Amino acid sequence: MDVIKCDCKFSASFRTSQVMSGGANRKKASRSQGWEEAGSEFYQESYPIDADIEVLQKDPKHLATLLPSKQNRTAAATIRHRTNDTRTNNRTVRRRTATHSRRDSTVQRRASAAGEVQVSMLPDLSEMRTNEQTSWEEIMQIKTLPLPMREKKEMKAKILNEPNLRLQGYEQFNWKRRKMWGVLESRLRESFNEMELWKGALKHIEGNFGTGVVAFFLFLKWLFLLNTVIFFFLFLFITLPTILLDYERLVNCPYNATCCAEGYFNETLSENNVFLDLIQGTGILERTILFYGFYSNKTLSYSLGLLQMYYNLPLAYLLIIILCFAISLVAIIRSAAKGFRERLIEGEGQFYQYCNLVFGGWDFCIDNEKAARIKHKALYSEIRANLETEKIKEEKQSRTTQEKCRIVFCRFIVNTVVLAILAGCACLIYLVFDFSTNKLAESTSRTQTKELFFEFLPSMTIVSLNIVVPFTFTFLISFEKYTPMTVIKLSLIRMVFLKLSSLIVFYMSLWRKITCNKVDESQCVACDEIPVCWETFVGQQIFKLLLTDFGTQIVITFVINFARSQLARHFDNKIIKFLGEQTFDLPKHALDIVYMQNLCWYGIFYMPMLSFMAAVIFLLMFYVKKFACLVNCKPSSVIYRASRSNSMFMLVLLVAYAFAIIPIAFFFAELTPSKSCGPFRDKGSVWGLIVDLFKRTPEWLQSVIFFLSTAGFAVPCIIVLLLFLYYYTAVNSANKHLVEVLKNQLVLEGHDKQFLLDRLSLFIKQDNQKRARAEQNGGRGDANT
Amino acid sequence: MGNKLVTFTDQQFENYQDCTFFTRKEILRVFKRFREVRPDLVPKQMKKNQAVSVRIPLEDSIEKLPELHENPFKKRICEVFSRDGKGNLSFEDFLDLLSVFSEQAPRDIKVFYAFRIYDFDGDQHIGQEDLDQAVLLLTKHTQELTPEDRQQIVEKVIEEGDVDGDGKLSYMEFEHVILRAPEFLSTFHIRI
Repeated sequence: MDVIKCDCKFSASFRTSQVMSGGANRKKASRSQGWEEAGSEFYQESYPIDADIEVLQKDPKHLATLLPSKQNRTAAATIRHRTNDTRTNNRTVRRRTATHSRRDSTVQRRASAAGEVQVSMLPDLSEMRTNEQTSWEEIMQIKTLPLPMREKKEMKAKILNEPNLRLQGYEQFNWKRRKMWGVLESRLRESFNEMELWKGALKHIEGNFGTGVVAFFLFLKWLFLLNTVIFFFLFLFITLPTILLDYERLVNCPYNATCCAEGYFNETLSENNVFLDLIQGTGILERTILFYGFYSNKTLSYSLGLLQMYYNLPLAYLLIIILCFAISLVAIIRSAAKGFRERLIEGEGQFYQYCNLVFGGWDFCIDNEKAARIKHKALYSEIRANLETEKIKEEKQSRTTQEKCRIVFCRFIVNTVVLAILAGCACLIYLVFDFSTNKLAESTSRTQTKELFFEFLPSMTIVSLNIVVPFTFTFLISFEKYTPMTVIKLSLIRMVFLKLSSLIVFYMSLWRKITCNKVDESQCVACDEIPVCWETFVGQQIFKLLLTDFGTQIVITFVINFARSQLARHFDNKIIKFLGEQTFDLPKHALDIVYMQNLCWYGIFYMPMLSFMAAVIFLLMFYVKKFACLVNCKPSSVIYRASRSNSMFMLVLLVAYAFAIIPIAFFFAELTPSKSCGPFRDKGSVWGLIVDLFKRTPEWLQSVIFFLSTAGFAVPCIIVLLLFLYYYTAVNSANKHLVEVLKNQLVLEGHDKQFLLDRLSLFIKQDNQKRARAEQNGGRGDANT
Repeated sequence: MGNKLVTFTDQQFENYQDCTFFTRKEILRVFKRFREVRPDLVPKQMKKNQAVSVRIPLEDSIEKLPELHENPFKKRICEVFSRDGKGNLSFEDFLDLLSVFSEQAPRDIKVFYAFRIYDFDGDQHIGQEDLDQAVLLLTKHTQELTPEDRQQIVEKVIEEGDVDGDGKLSYMEFEHVILRAPEFLSTFHIRI
């Protein structure tokens, strides 16, 4: 018998008939001369031997079925092997214990050839004997085996019945700890599953629309949780100390400076009714913990018994904001990395388009007849589209140069138009913002509604542009004759640019409003045109924008789109159907959500409670979007793939994050905080706080950090990083090449196997014929005598 | 203890928890769904052998289980997981089925069972007839694809996946292809 080394994921494959009970094995012992009988712990693989060859000789076609690769893989077993002891007749087979971590179930097994090697070694008790831990680990592995339940239970019973060593001392402690942890983990998982937010709703949506749309709602849930975490940190470290320790509202006046803060806080509040104040954040809400202006710049002190503790509020404020941004970034990157890894695997070779369609196309979650029909139709259209794409590709090859030029020219024109539209939007927003703030600054008497109108005009402009312009984009893109995938990507990019650039313009107009041409140091306010506490002003603008956006979403979903869908449902007119029928356009809705998150990120510095507001808004948005999805829309015929959607969401979120953090960083470094409010009122810039702190650290630390920022450190660092990059690129391309080589080798092996099988069956056939002729001759010979 | 009706003994629970990816509550939920299909056949309390012996015939499970009802491969799924190979599911088969389709099941076990499901004729290979059957099931209730179209798709699939040139997909080739299919893990699951 040959030495067999088997290295496979599911361990050895074996004939179902031959395993499971020691008795059965013993009966077969005579058949399998090369194999030791090992009782119930022995799982073996059987190769053709003498008895089988006879069967072969009858029919060579059987040969192919005996190949190892064609063995029935239904029973994957062999979790462990053990030494055989003196049950066998002087032959002991040494096997290596399978070591399993939870995740790694590769098993290596080596069986020595019994005929050639007679190894009689006493089993090594210390190494090979099972102990509680290994048997428990094996039991944990059972569920990953593709066996029917009955066999799994038998396997578990068998493992439990074997004699076990009890572990001693440290090992036992270790193992018990792991076991406890496993039990705890499963209990936690069970209770988390109970508490899972919106589980029923997600299942309902999944049944109707498939996993691609559910990915969007999971994204929404993820953002909700992120905002809750951010709010938790902000509340705990900034708001709570202020509430508890700063209740006296003592305004300290730094000597040599006028007490600007005192003046600010004693100023009379603007006269507005409560409702207006609520939606604008002015009036009674202005000087509360909601906004930046309320927080003091002192180091709060409190006494714990005899100890006097200090809490540096400005430092805490800055650090917590930085921490929140860091948490967001880490969360996004972790989520994106998961999807990115998968896409890398997918993009490494080719994308198996048709295989993916046939094997991964049907969503097993769909449980609704209507949705199932639509899914069938969607699959049909995708198959059709793929077949068409083949034809289009051929057609594209045969396109004349003239047509190509025309299309390129077309695309160029459309792109210019798109850029022009974007520039136009930017100008419009800027002008509107200018206009409305000028109008508000004029002190002529106005009615309240007019004032409200001017307050909200910028936000309304932005929101309406965000609604109208995408329609134009969809109209324009039809001229460009791209493939459907490219159309989706390009539309998404253009809409991202629209939404986020309108935000940029908004920020810039704000910036213009809060900076001065000539700075007057002696006054409390740097110049006359800017508000006294400009951070609070910025916070209020963002608050208004967020509120307007949310309000518009509600109005559009529940009023306009609802009416449209009801019309389309009840009337059969073609025009009405065209206007009324909507599909759940995933990129657009994702962009809405991401836009809100961007506002939230930008605003948490100026209004720490914005995170709370954002969390509440996302909670409500779930239901709004759910209504839009289930009631207003019918399932779309575009199949949204969950993995692609996820990576798209994370990418857009990352872009939005960058758009939020760059202005904040600019603000930290450049702008002067207002003198009359806020934790940074006595510093030249927000970053000045860190610089002051830094100056108080020991000398050696300062010199180290200075060194790190010099060229002497940076340049070698960059060179080393470049070397690493080059190394990994080289390894990557070498691996790709290796994959190609292995693929070719595999194909050749397949051909070899086929060739050998053919020859072998030919040989057997010839042998059969010879034997038949010999028998015939012998028979005739007998008959003759 | 009182009058509490215990569906399974602790021992059974522990066995099921070790052999599947479900927690206790989920197992009970699965049992409830199983019972809803044929309340007359399935008793409220499952004794050990009843979990194996009581079987729901194929037609009932296909009609009454909403998770399977709309699935084009429902018949084949039941056949793969049933012990007699004809599609009549006992409770343990049903539990096995849902365990493989649950979210915690690792990719390998899903790939294994997916291969068996798509292998309609059971010859350990996904051949042309198997693929043709699969495409037919996927586009049912719609305009029929012409046989030439189906043939083209089948040929393309084999072209993409077949490495050793035997004209059909073996388990290893299928596994290789599926690992590159990003949607497989997310579509190949049933929520209970």
